[in-house]
Amino acid sequence: MEPDGKDGALLRGVLRAGESAGQSTEQLRLATQHLASIVEFSDDAIISKNLEGIVTSWNAGAKRLFGYSAAEMIGGPVTRLIPSHKQDEEPGIIARIRSGERIDHYETVRLHKNGKLIDVSLTVSPIKDADNRIIGASKIARDITEKKKTEAELLRRERQLKQAREELLEHARKLEQRVEERTLELRESNHQLETLVYSIAHDLRAPLRSMQAYSQILLDDYVSGLDETARHYARRIIHSAETMDALVLDLLSYGRIARSEMFLEPLALESVWKTALQQYEKDIGDKQARIETVPPLPRVMGNEVTLGQVLANLLGNALKFTVPETAPSVRFRTEERDRLVRIWIEDNGIGIDPEYHDRIFRIFERLQGQAYPGTGIGLSIVRKGIERMGGRSGVESTPGKGSRFWIELPAAGP
Amino acid sequence: MAPQIIDRTIFDQQTILLVEDNEDDVFIMRNVFKKAAMTNPLQVARDGEQAIGYLKGEGSYGDRHKFPLPVIVLMDLNMPKKNGLEVLKWIREHPSLNTLTVHMLTASSLPSDIELAARLGANAYLIKPGKLDELLEIVKAWIKVNSFAAFPALGA
Repeated sequence: MEPDGKDGALLRGVLRAGESAGQSTEQLRLATQHLASIVEFSDDAIISKNLEGIVTSWNAGAKRLFGYSAAEMIGGPVTRLIPSHKQDEEPGIIARIRSGERIDHYETVRLHKNGKLIDVSLTVSPIKDADNRIIGASKIARDITEKKKTEAELLRRERQLKQAREELLEHARKLEQRVEERTLELRESNHQLETLVYSIAHDLRAPLRSMQAYSQILLDDYVSGLDETARHYARRIIHSAETMDALVLDLLSYGRIARSEMFLEPLALESVWKTALQQYEKDIGDKQARIETVPPLPRVMGNEVTLGQVLANLLGNALKFTVPETAPSVRFRTEERDRLVRIWIEDNGIGIDPEYHDRIFRIFERLQGQAYPGTGIGLSIVRKGIERMGGRSGVESTPGKGSRFWIELPAAGP
Repeated sequence: MAPQIIDRTIFDQQTILLVEDNEDDVFIMRNVFKKAAMTNPLQVARDGEQAIGYLKGEGSYGDRHKFPLPVIVLMDLNMPKKNGLEVLKWIREHPSLNTLTVHMLTASSLPSDIELAARLGANAYLIKPGKLDELLEIVKAWIKVNSFAAFPALGA
């Protein structure tokens, strides 16, 4: 049943029927009876009152909602249903009804017989007599306690959600802030560490320089006072000092390449390779090495200093791990693969057992003894440096058949 | 002040002030200067404060016959009391010395040190090599360059 809609329309229809002449009294009586039964069995409370606020009708729904029987209420003031803090509502409602207004779905609270407050939605319409004068009001009250509860619950949930969302946002904000702080701290401590490493390396090198220099002065200026054994010892001191100096310098280079910020830009491979060749000019001359540079040398994306060091280290190895009594031969060539440039440095040296192809790129890994002195850092600088520039490195080699080292960097275009 | 061209014989007689706290490095530099056949009188200041005292002419340094103003200061970087960069800064702020030729001579190849030295007005930055032979090469080249260079005349 939809009392507000269909039955409301019916009620108006009946009233109009009453007004129009020519309707039989019987028809009117039947219609009124029909209407009364609809009212009586409505789920909603349907009440009428006069303009003085005295209850004139009270249906079963009203009894269910408010607890009072029709006998208790009819003839009494409707204000009994209004809680004390809502008493001033009634004059306002009456005033609006007098002016012919209808009040739709007005949500308020009313008082149950047992003293409990009930949430209700009120629809109040004027009742007119045959002369169209307003003589009272019909009031339909619907229990909206459940609806209110649901609304309150929804509101509570909404608030909880909002709060949870705010807490989440706050957490995220705090987390971001912490990450930022930690990053700053890390950068700061990284910088301090670098400075510390640098000054330690500096301090380590100073006595080495002295050891080297004093031994050299012995050999240079006091050679007549030294026999061959003493000269040999002086040379061993020089050699040890120089080895340790190379170790300190290589460690510094490795540290710098592993940690420093790396600015990448298009590089002319040819000029970086030339710089590396210049670095080994003396070695190349001394060993009568054959260097073959195969064009084209395309541009690559990289860091000039780092790539320079990588190429110099690979060239240095090619000139170092040579077969005795054989002039070194080094071939420098490139291959373009998709958007990558693979750079090959191939030699005719002693070669590397495939078992060790991965290990030689690790720091301090050495395969050779005194015959080929070194720090074991050179290739780890190569791998780390190439990695830092977003590339890859590797080797193909068979013992006795030379080594073909390769590095791969993104192409920089023409 | 217009620079005056000084010929090699005159440079050979000009004092060089070595500011170096490390006794071994002083010994090595003397040895290398000797091997490079450098004839310039060499004065040594053992730290930054002493160098400033020398240049100011404080105390016995006031005797400019015994302690002449140098044509070049060869300055170490890391020293106790005042370091090389602080002395350089003092020199550049001192009106009568701000054109003095200062060459840094240090083991530090730290980019920040090199940049700061340049910013403070160092005329050259030499990095001490690890080997005596290399140091000798550098010093020989350094003497050759300086004997052809023009230095501003300095008033006390």
